[in-house]
Amino acid sequence: MSAARRPSVHGRRRQAAREPTAEERAQAQRQLEQYCALNHKVMEQRARNEFTNSALEATKQLLEQNTELHTVWNYRRQIFAGMEAWQDESERQRLLEEELMFLQQVIRKNIKSYWMWGHRVWVLKSLPHAEWERELGLAAKLLAVDARNYHGWNYRRFVVSRLKAAASDAAPQAVDEQEFAFTTEQINKDCANHAAWHNRSKLLPAILAARDEAGRDAVLAAEDVLILNAIYTDPDDQNAWLYCEWLQDIQRDDPARCRLLRQRVSAIRELLELEDDSRRPLIELVSALVELDRLEPGAVADAERGECIATLRKLAAIDPLHIGRYDDWGSALGRRWGLA
Amino acid sequence: MAEGSGSGHGELLVDKHVEFIKALDKKQDELEYWMTEHLRISGIYWGMVALGLLGRDDALEREAVVSYVLGCQNADGGFGGHTGHDSHLLYTMSAVQILVMCDALDKVDAEKVIAYVVGLQNRETGVVSGDEWGEEDTRFAFISVATLSFFGAQARLDIPGVVDYVMQSMNYDGGFGSGPGGESHAAQVYTCLACLAIAGRLDLVNRDRLSAWLAERQLPSGGLNGRPQKLEDVCYSWWALSSLHILGRPHWIHLPRLTAFILSAQDPSGGIADRPGNIADVYHTCFGIAGLSLAGFDRYPLAEIDPVYCMPRAVVERAGLRGWAAHVPAAWGIERDAAPRQ
Repeated sequence: MSAARRPSVHGRRRQAAREPTAEERAQAQRQLEQYCALNHKVMEQRARNEFTNSALEATKQLLEQNTELHTVWNYRRQIFAGMEAWQDESERQRLLEEELMFLQQVIRKNIKSYWMWGHRVWVLKSLPHAEWERELGLAAKLLAVDARNYHGWNYRRFVVSRLKAAASDAAPQAVDEQEFAFTTEQINKDCANHAAWHNRSKLLPAILAARDEAGRDAVLAAEDVLILNAIYTDPDDQNAWLYCEWLQDIQRDDPARCRLLRQRVSAIRELLELEDDSRRPLIELVSALVELDRLEPGAVADAERGECIATLRKLAAIDPLHIGRYDDWGSALGRRWGLA
Repeated sequence: MAEGSGSGHGELLVDKHVEFIKALDKKQDELEYWMTEHLRISGIYWGMVALGLLGRDDALEREAVVSYVLGCQNADGGFGGHTGHDSHLLYTMSAVQILVMCDALDKVDAEKVIAYVVGLQNRETGVVSGDEWGEEDTRFAFISVATLSFFGAQARLDIPGVVDYVMQSMNYDGGFGSGPGGESHAAQVYTCLACLAIAGRLDLVNRDRLSAWLAERQLPSGGLNGRPQKLEDVCYSWWALSSLHILGRPHWIHLPRLTAFILSAQDPSGGIADRPGNIADVYHTCFGIAGLSLAGFDRYPLAEIDPVYCMPRAVVERAGLRGWAAHVPAAWGIERDAAPRQ
């Protein structure tokens, strides 16, 4: 199935049909011949197990043109390991520092290359003295350019795991706190940043575990504020709602969950007074009431049950894309509550 | 060219797509042909799935395909993306799938392939790497289990270890990332669900939350995206909708609108692009047609696709691999028809 690792064929527009000029054809032909010759040269060197500066240079030129040649990235690592200089620690440090500079150029060419990121991880793991803080800076720069970049976030998590492993006893906690603050910063910039909310959900349990009860309450109160801000900024954005729903999962017991659900129901009702046909708050209202009904039988009165069914009908009318979901949900609730 | 002008009033340009796929191997005068050499085997797989769904399996020469694929196998038992390229699980799975579609799996030394795949699992952590260099990803969890299942050899893996790794990659939104800590992404969701389906462990999934998250992938254009706030793209017609199929909830999105979106991304001269007006390629042609099959497109008799294996259902049945459908949790109340749709 070859999931992802997909060819770089996204977002290229079809051009209006136009015959290329003779000059353009000749240039394209030269480019093709040059690429094939270089590719051939590298594959020959590889077949001869040639681990030389010349092979290092040829693979570099080839990878600059095509970042997706995993066989050539593999060969490049074999060249390094096969060079005499590799045995000397300071030489190895120098070679790999140069490799990082080369990768900086490649990132600019194709930030989405899995192979290139894999190679970078190998370089960092192979460096006698890796500068993890500098790598964290690189990850921050990438996310400043594209706050949702999948590879940027993955790389950041890799760097953070190394920073934590290298930290002294109290410091891993400090790294978590710093990362948690980073997600706050990202969410404050754009509350629709799914990657930031996601990473926050991975960090919050450790943040809570490091505090006493009063400290935990303070953190959770701050989470409420963050969620409310996001929800009022864009009620139809799914991120804060998903996060809010997940906060239920990590509550200590059912009474705590029910308290949170009641707060959620009243917050949603306030929001709906401002925008009564906002789809996401309507979904969340039903979801919160249904969950409350499940956790505490009798907590949801008949009138509110009827409201859930009516709300699902309303949703089907304002959001026909998801009519199948509302129908399934309404039927299940009808069966559960003995409503027609 | 006007946007969406390729839709041809909602028709699937079957002959054009067949010609587009057949012509892929005849573009040696284009740089693109050489720049994509390293994943030629995946290209053949995508082309064959598309042709199989269109009922035109005969468009590629079977003997030539089989002999090319066998030539991509390396001494380590794995397959490269092209002759002389290093082995990787991605290409090993494509190779095996092609051989299965060509009914030629007996042409390969099964034990060598099995040993290659099994050798990539870390026996302490259960994690499967993509190749000897150790890249870890939930995609490889799926690929290892699926590839071995074609040989009836998935038990050679530590399956609970694979399942643990997949479950460590589950997130607050019910989705799955590329590994523990990774953000949910529709393509990773597919690989994780398909892996759990073959392992018979779909009971571990938060079905309601994940189905809702996947349903939110549909945008007003009808197309699906892979993550919140991202652009729609034809390939998610496969990744997200196959996932909804596995969960028994394809109807949680608007299928006719998705169909219209996919058709509008057709190039009038053949092939399907990521979005209307863009350049077509075999990857999006495959997943666009696969999406149409999943969406129940009925203006052409497309073959049914299996949502776990991404191959025509008839092929998966012939390989004796539809067993996953019987292991979906009974509580989900899904009745999957035992016989293929007519």
